[in-house]
Order: sequence, then structure tokens, then C-alpha cells
Amino acid sequence: MQEIRKQGGRWLVGRRTFMGAALAAAAVFAAPALHAQQGVTANEIVIGALGPLTGAFAFIGAPGRDSIALAIDKINEAGGINGRKLRLVFEGANTPAESVAAAKKLVEETKVFVLILASGSTGAAAAADYVRAANIPTYNIYGATPIIRLPFARNIFHSAIPGAETSGKAMIDEVFRKVPNAKKVGILAGTYAFPQSHLKAIREQMATRAGVEVVVEQFDAAARDFTAQLLSFSRQKVEAVMVLGSYTEAGFAIKQAPEKGLPASMTWVLDGSGVNDGIVAIVGQENTKNLHGYYNVPYFPTQVDDAPMAGFRKIWIAKYGTPPQGRPNIYDLVGYGSTYVLAQAIKGAGSNLTWDSLITSWEKVSEAKPSALGGFDVIYPETFSATDHQGGRRLGSASIVGDKWKVVR
Amino acid sequence: MSEFLMVIIGGLASGAVYALVAIGVVVIHKATKTVNFAHGGFVLLGAFAAYLIVVQLGWTYWAAYVIVPLLIGALAMAIEMAILRPLRKADLFTVITATIFIGIGLSETYRLSYNTEILSMPKPIAGPPFVFGEVILTPAQLWVGAGALAAGLIGLLLFSHARIGRSMRAMASNVRGATLCGYSVNQVYALAWFMGGALAGLAGVFAGPSKGISPDLAVAMITAGFVGAVIGGFDSLRGALLGGLLLGLAETFAAAYVSSAMKSAISFLLLFVVLLWRPDGLFSERKIRDV
Repeated sequence: MQEIRKQGGRWLVGRRTFMGAALAAAAVFAAPALHAQQGVTANEIVIGALGPLTGAFAFIGAPGRDSIALAIDKINEAGGINGRKLRLVFEGANTPAESVAAAKKLVEETKVFVLILASGSTGAAAAADYVRAANIPTYNIYGATPIIRLPFARNIFHSAIPGAETSGKAMIDEVFRKVPNAKKVGILAGTYAFPQSHLKAIREQMATRAGVEVVVEQFDAAARDFTAQLLSFSRQKVEAVMVLGSYTEAGFAIKQAPEKGLPASMTWVLDGSGVNDGIVAIVGQENTKNLHGYYNVPYFPTQVDDAPMAGFRKIWIAKYGTPPQGRPNIYDLVGYGSTYVLAQAIKGAGSNLTWDSLITSWEKVSEAKPSALGGFDVIYPETFSATDHQGGRRLGSASIVGDKWKVVR
Repeated sequence: MSEFLMVIIGGLASGAVYALVAIGVVVIHKATKTVNFAHGGFVLLGAFAAYLIVVQLGWTYWAAYVIVPLLIGALAMAIEMAILRPLRKADLFTVITATIFIGIGLSETYRLSYNTEILSMPKPIAGPPFVFGEVILTPAQLWVGAGALAAGLIGLLLFSHARIGRSMRAMASNVRGATLCGYSVNQVYALAWFMGGALAGLAGVFAGPSKGISPDLAVAMITAGFVGAVIGGFDSLRGALLGGLLLGLAETFAAAYVSSAMKSAISFLLLFVVLLWRPDGLFSERKIRDV
């Protein structure tokens, strides 16, 4: 049977031959496509991450780098994911411009498969437009800013740090739990992205409370002098102060407060980044009775009487040695736990890894926790859906017991 | 009124630490004609050494007040002997460049040895605040302010009146004359650097608890020390003392009644005003003759 013949100057191809050729062509082009997704080879998945490693926000990025690397080491030791090992490429990025440049470099030059934003709100906000446009699966593990959350993007997922409206509500609840009849509440807010998004959410929610006056004072990142702000609170006789900023900023403000006329009995409610043991050394143990806050994970890093924390701390020290003051911190816990959540999403996508298959798998992740892959449960379980990419919403309440923070609820 | 008084007390407490730094800068400059931009690095290392003694070793602050000045003084003297002595015949630009990079090197050495955002120390003295009507004075404020001021005055008296300061005064007055009188340039320069370093180390012990220990401390202290010294006249130890106090007051008033962000700006504003209005400083001891 002649399947290809010339007739009237034109080549005629039989149906069976045509179908066969089409299938062969499809196979030729489709075969590489099975492994054509960038950052994925037969035995490796490249994960990119960025965050500040020096400067005022190094307390976020450096733990991010260390804890993601720690989780990846352990996952690889346990055999990797679906036969592939994970490899981390971390780019330091301090400023918004550096964050965008680092994201671009990781996606376009290093060609990573997934991008983790371990940069807090400032870096996450800066990189938001780029990762939306690039469509790469992105895990925002620290940024509370709405800029990375809204409008909703199918490729962007969020970890244990919820939006500012959730954590803002937790702070307000904490204030009125401690000072139920407060009529005047001070807010001491940093001028950078995270405190500002928090401030907006808290102001909106406080506006609905009749008879409560809010006094807002602001400070620049890494401020060490709070004379003007504290004198303002003192003049206006606020009954409690919410501090939206890092533990060093909160610590120096609280330390200077008695010198500026604020009573020693003042209630201070700190945001998640203020809840850090480093603050005890700054304010002095005798001044910690009225310090409260919320916490994004079920254990404070020094709660080593609890098995998951003890296990985590042990592997952290085995890899990095004696920790410096303030480490491991909440960003270590969230970075470590989030990497396990990501690993479960990758595992669910199967061996034919594409951006789409990962996103589809991620949206089906339910009650994910590190112990599912042999890790320590130092984060609350995370659940995602096609319409809700916020994995963790649960917040604990933290207070200082003895000389250490403890998540008490 | 009570708020005003509290602002003055706060200003004097931080001004006393600035004065201590400024006196150290002027001691070295007077005796050796070297503008020491590494002084902030000495303050930082002084604070770090105090942290190691008080927090890591668990010793008292008294140990830090004794050990740190000796340690940082010895370090400053070693730097003078090892790095600056070979540069003694070099031009001014070379020496200034050297001190700038020695300062950066000291800060970076600290950063590499202790890679954390900030180290904090307990207050040197605890206890409830003293309350006079509506004026509140904390024991730590009183201790740091009075202690730094007393240390600055002792440094000033040692240089100006004690036997140990005679060689430095002679060298400050006339290097050739002092050499002809039998003073060794090497010994006097080493002594001046030791004294300047010791004052910087002591300033670090006083500054560490209130400001925290980070490389930023070196920058903040060298800026304050230089502005205080320039306001005072740069060759006057009394001027440095008063310049430091004036700077502390100006910064605190600006923070209290304008904005905390103005705190740094006011020091530069003060510097420019003094340089434009009285380039020799407010308390210069330089003798000017009309010829």
C-alpha cells in the first residue's frame, strides 16, 4: 500500500501516515516538555529565595535563609521529593530595588522553579508586581503587606503570617483584654511597609469602637530615640500602647518610657516581630510584666520543654552551632515550617512538575504540617484552596513568663 | 515645666557620653596632631568588651569600668605603634585615610565576630525612679550622666594638670621643643593614643546599655564626638566637654519639641552654624595674633 504518492505535481499523504507522523511529532516535542519546566531536572528541583541578610532587617532574611536551608537538608536526607533533591539558591536583598532585581535574577537567570519571598513586607511589596507578571509559583512567607495579597493572584501563596487585618485584630483584642476600659490607646508605628499596613488595619478597626481615642506616633526604621513620641503619649495620658515595629525599636521605646514620664504600669502590646527574647535584655527583666503580643506559631523558640521546639532547636544547633542572641527566632520557625508545606505541595504535584501542576496541587494542600514529611511541627497547620491562598490564620497570645516569652494560648 | 526639666536631664545624660568621646578625640589630636576617625570603632569595641564582661562572663559593671579602658587603651596604643607610626612622616591625607579605614576595620571585625542585629546589656544600676513632683529621674540616667561626666573631668585633669599629661602638653605645645627637652615622640604618641582609647572604651561602657551594641554605635559616636569637639574648638579639652553637653541638649530638645527624626539633623546644623559663625569653635584655646 502506497501511503505517500505524487499526483498531478502534488504529494499526497495517506491518513494513517499523516496520523502517525503527527503522533511522532507530538511525542518528540512533548517528551522534553515533561522536564522542560525551568528549575526542574530528572533529579533536582531548584528553589529560589530572597531576603535581607544585612542591615536593619537582617533579623528576617538571615533566619529565612538558614531555616529554608535547614529544612531542605532534612528533606533531602530523607530522600527528597518524588525522587528529586531540592536545591536552594538564596539572593540577599535589602532594599525594594534589590528585592525586584533579586526576584528577576532568580527567575530569569538562575531559572528557579519556585520563588520564596523571605523578605518581610518591604521586599514582598516591591517584588509583588514582578512575580504576578512572571507567573512563577511564589511563596510569601513573611510579608503581611496587602500589596502582595491584593489583587488575588493564582501563583502567590502566603504562609503563617496572615494579613494585617487578622494580626491587627489580635493586637486590639490583647489591649482590651489587659485594659478592658481603656479610653485612650497609643499606637507607635514604624514608617516602613509592615507597620504601616498594620497601622491602617488597626485604625480602621479602632474607628468602630465608640469612645476610644487613638493617639498615633510614628518613627523611622531602626530608630533608637523615641523622645518625641513618648512625650506625646505622656502628655495625652494614654492607657496602653501598641508598638508596630521590630523588637529593638519596641525595646528602646519601652526602655526610655519611664524617663519620659510614662508610668511603669503601662501596658505594651507588641506585634509579631516585637515578640522576641532580645527585648528582655533591652528593657531589663524587671520591666517585662506588662509586655504582651501575638505570635504566629504555636511555640516561642525558647519553649524547649515542648518536644517539637526541642527537636527543632537541636537540628538548628547541629547545623549552625551555638545560636547568637535572639536566634533561632520566629522567622526561623516560619521559614522551616513553610519549606515543609511547600515540599508537600511539590510532592502532591507528582513527578510531572510544572508551574500549573504545582499550583493545582498547592490549592489542595490541607492541614499541612512538617511532621507529614518527618519534620518538627513548629508552625500551625496550613490549608489552602483555589480561592484562599493564606495558609495560616491562627495566632497565639504571648506573654513573658520568667524571663522568656511563652505562647500561652 | 516638669517635662522641660526631664528633657534637660535626658540631654545632659547623653551629652555627658558625647563629651567623653569628644575629649578622647581632642586628647589624641592635641598630642599627636592626628585626627582620629577610628575613635567610633574604639567606642564600639569598648561597648562590646563591656557586653562580654557583664553579660557573657557575668561580672559586675565595676569590672567593666576598670578592664575596658585598659583593654581599649592598649588596643589604640598598639594600632598607633603598628600602623600609624610608620605613617608619621606621611602627609595628612594619608594619615586621615588610614584612621578612616582602621575605624571601618574595627567595626567590620565586630560585625564578623558577632553577626547579630544588636546586642543589649542590662542597665548599670536598677531601682525605682526618683520622683520630684512630676519630674522623673531614673537611677540609670543619673549614673550614666554623672559617671561619664566625672570620667571626662578626670581625663581632662590628667591631661591638663597631672604629671602624666605633662609630656603630652609639651608635645601639643611644640614638638621640637618637647623633643629637645628629652621627651620621646614615640612614647608620648603611644601614651596619647592609650589615653584617647581608654576614654573611648569608657564611653562605650556608658553608651552600650542605653544605645545597644551594633556597628551603628561606631558611626553615631564618631559623629557626636567630632561635632562636640568642633563645637568646643578641637584643641580645647574643656571645649570638648562643653561641646558634648551642648550637643546632647540640642539633640534632645530637637527630638522632644520638633521630631525624633531631627535628632541627627540638629547635630549637623549645629556644626555648620559653629563653623560659619566661629570657625575656631566656641571655646577655642588657640592663640591668634594679628600681624
